[in-house]
Amino acid sequence: MAQMTGLLTYQGIPVWRHAQILRWATQIISGVLAVVLVLWFFLNIGSAIQSRNIPYGFSFLDREYQTPIGHHFLPYESSDTFLYALGVAATNTIFVSIAGVVLATILGIVIGVSRLSNNWIISKLALAYVEFFRNVPLLVQLFFWFYIFLALPPERDGYIIAENLYINNAGVSFPWPTPPDLVMGLAWLALAIVGVIAAVIIYRFLLRRETMTGKASYPIVFGVVTVVGIAAVAWIILMIVAGESPFAISYPAPHGTFGRVAGGFTAPAGLLALLIGLVMYTASFIAEIVRAGITSVGRGQTEAARALGLSNLSALRHVTFPQALRVIIPPLISQFLNLTKNSSLAGAIGYSDLTNVAKTMTQTAPAVSIFILIMLSYLAMSLAYSLAGNLYNRYVRITGA
Amino acid sequence: MTDNENTAAAAVMAPPRSEVGAVGWMRANLFSTWYNVLMTVTSVLVVVWFLWFGLTWAFGDAEWRVIGTLGGQFIIGQYNTVSACPGQNCFWRPQVGLLLATLVLGMAWGVAGGGTAKKVALVVAFVSAAMALIPYSFERMGMDVRILLVANIPAMYLGLAITRYTPWREVKHVAIVGVVSFLLTLFLLRGFEGLPGMQPVSVIHWGGLMLNILLAVAGIVLSLPIGIGLALGRRSQLPVVKLLCVVFIEIFRGVPLITLLFMSQVLVPLAFPENFPQNSLFRAAVVITLFSSAYMAENIRGGLQALHPGQAEAARALGLSGWQITFLISLPQAIRNVIPAIVGQFIALFKDTSLVYIIGMLDVVEIGRAFIQGNPEYLPSARELFIFLAIVFWIFTYGMSYVSRRVEDHMRVGAR
Repeated sequence: MAQMTGLLTYQGIPVWRHAQILRWATQIISGVLAVVLVLWFFLNIGSAIQSRNIPYGFSFLDREYQTPIGHHFLPYESSDTFLYALGVAATNTIFVSIAGVVLATILGIVIGVSRLSNNWIISKLALAYVEFFRNVPLLVQLFFWFYIFLALPPERDGYIIAENLYINNAGVSFPWPTPPDLVMGLAWLALAIVGVIAAVIIYRFLLRRETMTGKASYPIVFGVVTVVGIAAVAWIILMIVAGESPFAISYPAPHGTFGRVAGGFTAPAGLLALLIGLVMYTASFIAEIVRAGITSVGRGQTEAARALGLSNLSALRHVTFPQALRVIIPPLISQFLNLTKNSSLAGAIGYSDLTNVAKTMTQTAPAVSIFILIMLSYLAMSLAYSLAGNLYNRYVRITGA
Repeated sequence: MTDNENTAAAAVMAPPRSEVGAVGWMRANLFSTWYNVLMTVTSVLVVVWFLWFGLTWAFGDAEWRVIGTLGGQFIIGQYNTVSACPGQNCFWRPQVGLLLATLVLGMAWGVAGGGTAKKVALVVAFVSAAMALIPYSFERMGMDVRILLVANIPAMYLGLAITRYTPWREVKHVAIVGVVSFLLTLFLLRGFEGLPGMQPVSVIHWGGLMLNILLAVAGIVLSLPIGIGLALGRRSQLPVVKLLCVVFIEIFRGVPLITLLFMSQVLVPLAFPENFPQNSLFRAAVVITLFSSAYMAENIRGGLQALHPGQAEAARALGLSGWQITFLISLPQAIRNVIPAIVGQFIALFKDTSLVYIIGMLDVVEIGRAFIQGNPEYLPSARELFIFLAIVFWIFTYGMSYVSRRVEDHMRVGAR
């Protein structure tokens, strides 16, 4: 009877235990809290900017930056605008990022494969490399390389270790192909790229024919012939048109009373230390990713490949590694992002990357705007890498599975 | 029959000498093919050359004087200088912090009943005590400092005794004592206005390895729960909560820590009233913790995703509530599966504490670099300095990964 009255007087679920109401309440409360917090933060900053007369907005981008940038790949003058200076700094970061990613991937794959070598001493050496470089802060490594460069003889001593190769505390100078005429140089480069694309198409066509028909078609030979042929023909035509070769090797040599090395290409100490440090640090992480990827492919795959008569190297290249790639790529992309973000440590060793230049800019320009620009720049780089990685991942994915 | 057995036994001959023992091992692992021979010989030559060059340099040409010159500054930075602590000796405050740490480690040993906790406690206590024996000019490292260092051994055994002879012998007690000790250390280091012998020391003067460890401990302790919260939020079915967590995680993961640290010094103070007490170290600690939490959240989310949905379904079928499923079924398994990633993040956090140089703090790296920068005659010793710093960091981070491997093995026992 008591139960009956209980049922009859049932009033529905109490509010504090009603799942639907609780869900809505949680969402509304958290949403309102977040909005209030963000508003409070930015409104306070806004009022502080007004009351303390701090400049704001993005109008500074058209002003002249008036500050030198230590090293730049793009031509730069102090009279250039803030926007262009940011672009110059971003180019430095992008260069470091791409060069670092390429070198770190190569080194990382070599070390990761060495970790799995059946040669005991090689695998132990690779292990020692990984355990050391992964466990020491990048900053310490960067300082180590940087101060090694700083301890080198000064530039005026004209220290030279091989013909046309200068090493001093300002950096390393080496011969570099430089176009006498920029348009001609770019034209040849464009034609060379066309050659590479044509070579790839021919290579893939011949490779498919070889696999389909079993007829020897020499895809590599014809690919190389195509690219070399197109590049050479383009070179000769441009030489006839312009009267000089599109690229000439420029040699570094000491100039002036201070013996400053000019000509060729000079990689400043900061850039070299940054690249060496980033590459060795990131390679240790990539090595572990590569090792994990290869071990994730069943042993049976390697054994089957060996049984079919493939050599150890061929089995790795044609059977194990393509399958391992699927496991390797997602964490590899995040290492690329890490490398890009870690390149912001450049400021510590005096290299003018995006963060370092932006940091200097905050002295003469609104910090909020610069922070937003920097965030967007790094976000754009992250997205670019993620996009490339996802596209490649789709390419190596198991199809038809 | 005996004949047959004899022939069978005779047919099984011992493997040839060249296939077993040291010779066989070397044939299989070092000289199996011609290119393996080549690689082995080359790498042995490289290793010998490297060791020869490295050792003759380390014990011959290397100038390790810079390490001795900086000495205790590596550990406590500028904490005990005249400008930080005028008119009194403050060295004992960080040292009491160390004593509290060894006490907690001793308790952890007692609670764990040996194993890795015992090793860690013993190593920390005895290495600290051994530092008292460093031959060093006495006015730079007084007898009082040495006595407090040696006191780490009794402090550890005191912690052990507490778990043996008092009712405080559970994990939660270690956690309580640990948190209280950490807060006590912070208060000790900060000091109080008006208390004799406890003159306030501005956080600007906190430095050295002490600073790295304080930031790392605070970051590790806080980033795990925050990371768990973010990971759960990101997997939540509530769209608003999910969106907030995704935005938070992606912003913190998308920007370099150094940019965040720098902006925390430039932007965040603007959000507070001008006379609001500003503490750059506190802001840095918050930024490092949040940065680490964002990465931690992704690791834990990975663990949760790898969990078979049958686990949660079975728990639901048994009548467990949503919270119970999350905290009793899903999370423990998810975390156990991603321990290596979590510890990897802890190590990354510890390494990242060296970035506080950007806000002008003198951590163990920056104090050395600033010294080299300020004293150009030590410039050739920069190599020695950074090798020393690399080894210091390596010992800590390798220790962390060693402990993680042991914990992993321990958790796997009986689990699979």
